[in-house]
Amino acid sequence: MLTAEVAWELLASTGLSLARMVASYIISFVVAVFTGVAMAKNKYVEAVMLPLLDVLQSIPILGFLPAALVVFVRVLGPAVGAELSAVFLLFTSLVWNMIFGVYTSVKSLESSVDDLARVYRLPLLHRYMYIYLPASRNSVIANSIVSWAGGWFFLTSAEVLSIGKTEYSLRGLGSFIIKTYAQGDQTAYVAGLTMLFAVILLSYLLLWNPVAMKYTQTKALVGFTRVYEELEKAVSRIRGLIWERLSSAYSVIRRKKGRLAVAILFPIILDVASLNNIDLSTTSWLSGSWIYIEEFLVNLPLTALRVYGVMAAGLALTIILAYISHMMPRLSKAIVMLGEVLSSIPAMMWWPILLPALGGFPTGIMFFIYMQGSIWYVFFNTIIFGLTRVTRELDELSEIYGVRGRLYITKIFIPSIMPSIVAGSISSSGGAWNASIVAEHIRLGELNIDVGGVGSLLSRYAEMGDMYGVVLTSLLMSVTIVVINKLLWARLVRKIGGTYVIE
Amino acid sequence: MSLSRDIVIEVKEVSKSYATGGREVEVLRNISFAAGREFVAVLGPSGCGKSTLLRIIAGVEKPSRGEVVFHLDGKPSIGFVFQFPTLLPWLTVEENVLLPLMARGMSKKEALGNAYRALKIVGLYEFRDFYPNELSGGMRQRVNLARAIAVNPDILLMDEPFSNLDPLTAENLRSEILDIWLSSLLPIKTIIMVTHNVEEAVLMSDKIVVLSPRPATVVRIIENTLPRPRSRKASEVQELVDKVYEYVS
Ligand SMILES: Nc1ncnc2c1ncn2[C@@H]1O[C@H](COP(=O)(O)OP(=O)(O)O)[C@@H](O)[C@H]1O
Ligand SMILES: [Mg+2]
Repeated sequence: MLTAEVAWELLASTGLSLARMVASYIISFVVAVFTGVAMAKNKYVEAVMLPLLDVLQSIPILGFLPAALVVFVRVLGPAVGAELSAVFLLFTSLVWNMIFGVYTSVKSLESSVDDLARVYRLPLLHRYMYIYLPASRNSVIANSIVSWAGGWFFLTSAEVLSIGKTEYSLRGLGSFIIKTYAQGDQTAYVAGLTMLFAVILLSYLLLWNPVAMKYTQTKALVGFTRVYEELEKAVSRIRGLIWERLSSAYSVIRRKKGRLAVAILFPIILDVASLNNIDLSTTSWLSGSWIYIEEFLVNLPLTALRVYGVMAAGLALTIILAYISHMMPRLSKAIVMLGEVLSSIPAMMWWPILLPALGGFPTGIMFFIYMQGSIWYVFFNTIIFGLTRVTRELDELSEIYGVRGRLYITKIFIPSIMPSIVAGSISSSGGAWNASIVAEHIRLGELNIDVGGVGSLLSRYAEMGDMYGVVLTSLLMSVTIVVINKLLWARLVRKIGGTYVIE
Repeated sequence: MSLSRDIVIEVKEVSKSYATGGREVEVLRNISFAAGREFVAVLGPSGCGKSTLLRIIAGVEKPSRGEVVFHLDGKPSIGFVFQFPTLLPWLTVEENVLLPLMARGMSKKEALGNAYRALKIVGLYEFRDFYPNELSGGMRQRVNLARAIAVNPDILLMDEPFSNLDPLTAENLRSEILDIWLSSLLPIKTIIMVTHNVEEAVLMSDKIVVLSPRPATVVRIIENTLPRPRSRKASEVQELVDKVYEYVS
């Protein structure tokens, strides 16, 4: 039985984790909108941000950990700093694909819309409210569904911040489950897992799915629209008020641009100034770098093979599931719902969950976690949004001319969903790379498994407290991913994109 | 109607070049003309730079050389009819027309008054709650027009407003615009319409500025004093059409 004390702890932890997720999501949303629009509208920002984003989105969450600890914990102290670090780390696993979503949507607006804005001198606020935000709505919704899952997936990594012997464990659902598992408290552990499932399930049923159902043509989602409708009504009731405040605040900002810039810059300058006090003598410098590079190169092929093997398997699985969903629309809702829950379960938890069944086969668990980190980008894109491209007209055409079986799959079905598969696959490879840190290495209570690879290397550096190793290896990994993307994927994508995009 | 002495807009030696792919493409060369309180048609072949010229007049594009001068008190209010309707698909007809008015900081009540009047003029008041994708091509172009006249423009700029409509719809919209213009229902002082259709220019305008192929230069400026209403079949209209065709080719 759960004691009242533990139950209370569980509730508090759940609330805190949820609050962290919501905060990170809101920050991600705001950053995505402003960055995405700036990139689409300013070619200098675009030229700087595109390659930078490529690198940033390939840096695994562990790679941001030292930065988070230095900037937040050392500067602001552990109490506030650890909390901000967690939000920041979640932010890094939510934001990148959302930025790309906004960027591509605004970028694909016709140039006459710009003329419209200029001829009628729409102020910036109006451009955002009436043009950029609505134009990016669908892609932001689509990306939010994946990002939300991505946030939960890395929840434990964000709530238990540890480098070497320094560990900041935040009160939260992720750390609750980890802690109770490590302590061997079965009841509390199961209660924690159940709570996690429930929260994830509800957030999709009550919020994300109804939003997506309302604004896109997808038929693959289940959701209860009542709660969301009420929420929207409540929001629209206060929207007029917010709008007024925003407009007046905006005109104040327009008048006092200079002073505001100082107000924003001041804390940043303070931060940077205080960074000088940080003791860097423990880190090994350039002379030691070669060892890290060598280690990286030795481990690289192992992880690369796993990543692309898993991706290929994930693509095949997605196509099969998409086909089943298309043929049996009833089943599609169940498949997607299952996907939404599975994709959100924090990576580290798959070890204790799967171990009883697959104890003698850690490689199996490793591949499973890899798959978790990568398949969903393609999966959601394809099944929720790609399937709407397999239109009734196409199916009727196939029926009239007797196009069935393999011919239907290869000539009608796959080409129709191809744009969505392609759109998801770059993120999907990035996701697989990032999952390597949790898939290749686990140390949790009694559990201690390591299967080698770049991800395990990173995790081990972090455990040893080797910040320099973590940062350097993360950067090496991210640059490798960008190079592979540019050399292989981009070409493949262009080729496939060119052939398959109909319209 | 032609009170040309009373100049409203002066286009003064406007030139425009684009740098694309390292090469300099000259689009407009030394374009000069003046427009009074009248309907001016700018006529030229496709791709010669008509849209570019109109966008320069609207202040959306900067000329490489030269300038556009407005002889008006204060900033001119400009209505622009885009070649493609350019309606925001997530806003209703009414909201699309309201947008420029709200952007000027007009009160909601006043803005609604203007929007409704404009929608009534183009005959779409009943459709104000529809979304653009629920309308036909002709109706969308009418919303485009309504949005332009709702701002109470001094100057109405139109970029090939009929070129994407079927002939019958185009004909109807032409006579509606002429009605609005001739009835002086609105305070529009000058209309500048860009077109590649000679007959349209002759039937609608008081002055025709004929442009050459790219780089566009002014080939000829023709005062069109034919009495209104003009009929396609009238011999003097035919004569002028034939004459203008000679300058164009
Ligand atoms: N932003 C731009 N950058 C480069 N070239 C342009 C740009 N806008 C227009 N052009 C070029 O200027 C020429 C004239 O264009 P436009 O004014 O649209 O012609 P028209 O409206 O007469 O058909 C075209 O050849 C076009 O390629
Ligand atoms: Mg044009």
